[in-house]
Amino acid sequence: MTALLEVRGLCKHFGGVLAVNECSFSAAEGQITGLIGPNGAGKSTAIDLISGFKIPDTGTVVFEGNEVQGRTPHRISRMGMIRTFQTPREWPGLSVLENLILAHFEPRREQFWRSMRGPSHAEKVDAAAQLSRARTILEEFGLIELRNERAGNLSGGQKRLVEFARIRMAAPRLVILDEPMGGVNPVLGERMATAVLGFVAAGTSVVIVEHNLPFIERVTDKVVVMAEGRVIADGPFDSLRSNQAVVDSYLGEMPTYDDADA
Amino acid sequence: MIDYIVSILTEGAIFAIMALGLNIIWGWSGDFDLAFYGYVALGAYMTLVLTVGPATSPTEYILGLSLPFPVAVIIAMLSTMTLALIVGSIALRHLRGIYFSIVTLGAVYVLYIFAGQFVPLFNGFNGVSGLFDPMGDVLGLGFTAYPYFYLALCLVVLAVVVLVVTRLSGSRFGLALRSLREDERAAAAFGRDIYVMKLKAYVIGAALGGLGGGLFVGYLSAFNTSAWSPVETITLYAAILVGGRGSTRGVLLGIVVMYMGLQEATRYLPEVAGHASFAPAFRLILTGIVLVLFIRFRPQGILPERRLRDKDISGTGGTASVAVENPITGPALDPGAA
Repeated sequence: MTALLEVRGLCKHFGGVLAVNECSFSAAEGQITGLIGPNGAGKSTAIDLISGFKIPDTGTVVFEGNEVQGRTPHRISRMGMIRTFQTPREWPGLSVLENLILAHFEPRREQFWRSMRGPSHAEKVDAAAQLSRARTILEEFGLIELRNERAGNLSGGQKRLVEFARIRMAAPRLVILDEPMGGVNPVLGERMATAVLGFVAAGTSVVIVEHNLPFIERVTDKVVVMAEGRVIADGPFDSLRSNQAVVDSYLGEMPTYDDADA
Repeated sequence: MIDYIVSILTEGAIFAIMALGLNIIWGWSGDFDLAFYGYVALGAYMTLVLTVGPATSPTEYILGLSLPFPVAVIIAMLSTMTLALIVGSIALRHLRGIYFSIVTLGAVYVLYIFAGQFVPLFNGFNGVSGLFDPMGDVLGLGFTAYPYFYLALCLVVLAVVVLVVTRLSGSRFGLALRSLREDERAAAAFGRDIYVMKLKAYVIGAALGGLGGGLFVGYLSAFNTSAWSPVETITLYAAILVGGRGSTRGVLLGIVVMYMGLQEATRYLPEVAGHASFAPAFRLILTGIVLVLFIRFRPQGILPERRLRDKDISGTGGTASVAVENPITGPALDPGAA
């Protein structure tokens, strides 16, 4: 198993706050890697640094053997690493179907002169194939009836699904999901767990930041725990239960029924 | 009466070209540009100084090359695009929303003061004049026939602009620009180079502004800084908003309603003794009221931007029933391609 993403010694400070401090971890190809930790542990900042939305002070990010730290978000995205955000960022004024079609990025077809000239026969054939692929994915996510709806009119849960459908449409090498379960009910949660497992089946490896531990336990192969900007542990979820540092900083925060009795 | 109709149609066609340009910048890629009328003015000035002869004392201006009108308009468009490239590459780099607007407002005021104060450029506040009935003498058109010719010319140019804009709007380029308007961080996350795309839209939009300016000055025959007020930009924005932001048909309708309609509606107002500017002022007040009403009750405009409608119910696609009603992605979803 090779590391698809390797983060080494990443640091970032904002003013006097060291948000990410010597953060190092790796995510293997074909696996789901969880990234957990208490609020303020630096998880979201780490994602921003990896995906190019923020520039690290020091450290390297190696994606498929290439150093990508400091590159712009669109260049990293074009290399096959796509991220989501804590709040769903659908394109609200566009239809659900348009959201999917745009998720499949075709730099040549979006050029000005090409757009003036109109698509070639081969491009039309390809566009029709993309359209039917978008429909298949929408059907899979139960969104097919909503395909002509403005994405902004959808419920919060449906927007999450649209984001997942866009990832499937883009079919990147790696997706980084930033708290996808935020505000999602248990029934939809089950569907999203299936979808995350579906990413791997479709050839997209996953890094997932999440506070919902049952969800993390269910889907991840490996978990990286961060606290105060550092990685304090990593390994399979079960192995972390017995790790005192993890329990102290994060798992221990969860109240148990025994506490309530005492 | 017929003269009046010809003149209002000519002005309407010219303003429609400008509004379609501004619609690319604000309607598609979502940047509230306040420098736009500066591009119109530069297009107008450049067309003037390229078509008229050399300056004679006491007037002063650059060039004076006596070029044919169409050549002058094309060069004027190119200079407008150059200026937009400079302003856009600074303002679009990191600034968005109100901060972008402030910088573009600053840029247009620098241009305004420069054109007004630096006399050797465009003859200062007095402006440049002398472009009478462009192409009229070449075509042997008389004094009475000329307005009809110029109206036809403007309508033909407008038709070409509408064709080009419609094509772009329905292309992947046009759709991708809309994604920047809707959420540019998501657009970047899915591979779009936001800066380059926004800059392209900005320069294309400004080019149409320059074209509109060139035609406008052919109609006015002269241009100076007093012909160039910030209010004009507001009229263009009002037309886009009322007609339907992002929608080509909407913008055309917006010009008819907000420009020609309001002009017509306020035409027969009684004259108020001692207040010569009553009608124009009332027109502005009316523009403001209509704007407020639309923002409150119909912010998407009369003819909103149309979304792609996928009517295929089988959901599997790939058959001849890949029927797409509106072509925001247009040719991309051509039924024949399946």
